[in-house]
Amino acid sequence: MSRPVALFRNEMLKTFKRLATWVTLGLFSFIVFMNFGDEYLGARKDPERTFALPDAWPKIFGDGAFVGLVFGTVLLILMVAGEFSWRTARQNVIDGLSKGRWYWAKTILIPMLAVVFIGELTVVGGFFAYLGTDASAVSGPLMGATQWAAIGGLMLGFMLLASMGFAAAMAIRSQGPAMAVWFFYIGFGERLLLGGLSQLGEWIRPALRFAPFSTVQGGLANYLQWDPVALQRATERAIEAERTPPEIWDGGTLLITAVAWLAFFVVGSFLWFRRRDL
Amino acid sequence: MPVIQTTDLTKHFRKTRAVNGISFEVEEGQIFGFLGPNGSGKTTTIGMLLGIITPTRGSVSLFGGSGAAELHAARQRIGATLETPNFYPYLSGWDNLRIVANVKGKTKKEMEEVLDIVGLAKRKRTKFKAFSLGMKQRLALAATMLGDPELIILDEPANGLDPEGMREVRHVIQELAERGKTIFLSSHLLWEVERTCTHVAIIKEGEIIRQDSVKEITAETILAGLRSDDLPALRRMVESFPGTVSARVAEDTVVAELAEEDLAGLNHYLADRGVYVSHLALQQLTLEDVFMELTGAADDGMGEVA
Repeated sequence: MSRPVALFRNEMLKTFKRLATWVTLGLFSFIVFMNFGDEYLGARKDPERTFALPDAWPKIFGDGAFVGLVFGTVLLILMVAGEFSWRTARQNVIDGLSKGRWYWAKTILIPMLAVVFIGELTVVGGFFAYLGTDASAVSGPLMGATQWAAIGGLMLGFMLLASMGFAAAMAIRSQGPAMAVWFFYIGFGERLLLGGLSQLGEWIRPALRFAPFSTVQGGLANYLQWDPVALQRATERAIEAERTPPEIWDGGTLLITAVAWLAFFVVGSFLWFRRRDL
Repeated sequence: MPVIQTTDLTKHFRKTRAVNGISFEVEEGQIFGFLGPNGSGKTTTIGMLLGIITPTRGSVSLFGGSGAAELHAARQRIGATLETPNFYPYLSGWDNLRIVANVKGKTKKEMEEVLDIVGLAKRKRTKFKAFSLGMKQRLALAATMLGDPELIILDEPANGLDPEGMREVRHVIQELAERGKTIFLSSHLLWEVERTCTHVAIIKEGEIIRQDSVKEITAETILAGLRSDDLPALRRMVESFPGTVSARVAEDTVVAELAEEDLAGLNHYLADRGVYVSHLALQQLTLEDVFMELTGAADDGMGEVA
């Protein structure tokens, strides 16, 4: 067995034999099933409500995605910080892994959890919406390039925010405090920080949308970013209601910003980790 | 070529000097005891040998290599545990060993073999958190032995073990030594070290204060044990004997360090002064005696090291 495959198998063993993994996934599944099940049953009882493909995708990739992101990052923090509280990170290195290999093996969890949580959201949401879909009445595909782009955006958004949790767990090395720091940042910290920075003057305000959580909330996890038809409808509705039309990012800028933040958190925490004793 | 060689190895944690310029060598086939009171720098030193703590100054050479790549390669030839056994509590003994085997590139057959050696084969499916401390220590020993390493570094391997467990660990260590392994053993159980080790280094406050073979260390001092009804008077009289280097009372015996092995002369000297002893015999110096004398452990309230 080659070394990367062996390390991947180790991470799978550590993750899927841990009760916390199944509790987190179970809770998320419960929420997702209840939410989309309710949408499906509601649409069957009330003809005014609809939950059918492809119109249901904005709902599926809406608030539920953030729940998945929170659960996934909590699990990631538990998995990473646990290695320090049990001193198994140290033992893995003593057993022959270099610090670098140990670190990069751990980063496997970031995309893996993104696939698990966003995948489950898509499959369960898509399943309930499909049950309410009259396929013969739909002219186009039930799931097209727009939805794949939205899934890609959610995955990248998941990885960006999870990488912040990952960096917190690597730096703090303790589960509770790392979670507290992460929750504080996405709950209030960034808003407080941006509020403070905006006082510096008008010139800085355009740059504030590039903050990590804003990049996810306003860009990557925003369904309108990926669906031009839904964007047009939302713009028309906003104009009718005399509200400000929704704004979206330039696709290239959004991608570069997200990847830059992801690299910043993953590479930055690696450089910090490498300097410290285990 | 020494298996381990350190030169001026130093580690400072902010203002604390945990290890201060220590140099020692461990030759192939030695069972090297590394002794010191709690907080003396043993674990920090081992951490630097294993590459999990970066030295502030000085160098480590393993199997003759001291560059980063050489050290990483050399560490593949080492099996080690540091402080407590460190495993995933929610995994079974077998799954924990699988993780080590995957890192070391070892097979299931080799895993079975080491579990057999430490007597955990029947409990391998039990979760690590349900293991007794002795079982945890044995699993750590199994993980250490996996892959047949040339150098084995054990930090307090007998911690928490009952006498039977200690005997088993000693047996495993001796078996490994017989197979030509070099063993670096840190312990505060001095009698265990004395029974097991061929060489020893004593560290105190981050500095090595003595290193030699166990035989040399324990043989170079001549001790006599004396008993009588009046121990304080006996001690005063022994101290006045010209051939006495020092004398102290240990329980019901006066222990005298003599410049020469002249028990007859000492007995004569005491009898001439009206002091008659009920017991007079040469005493073998133990590692514990040397350790206590060098570290002042008893004076510092560190009697537990004995």
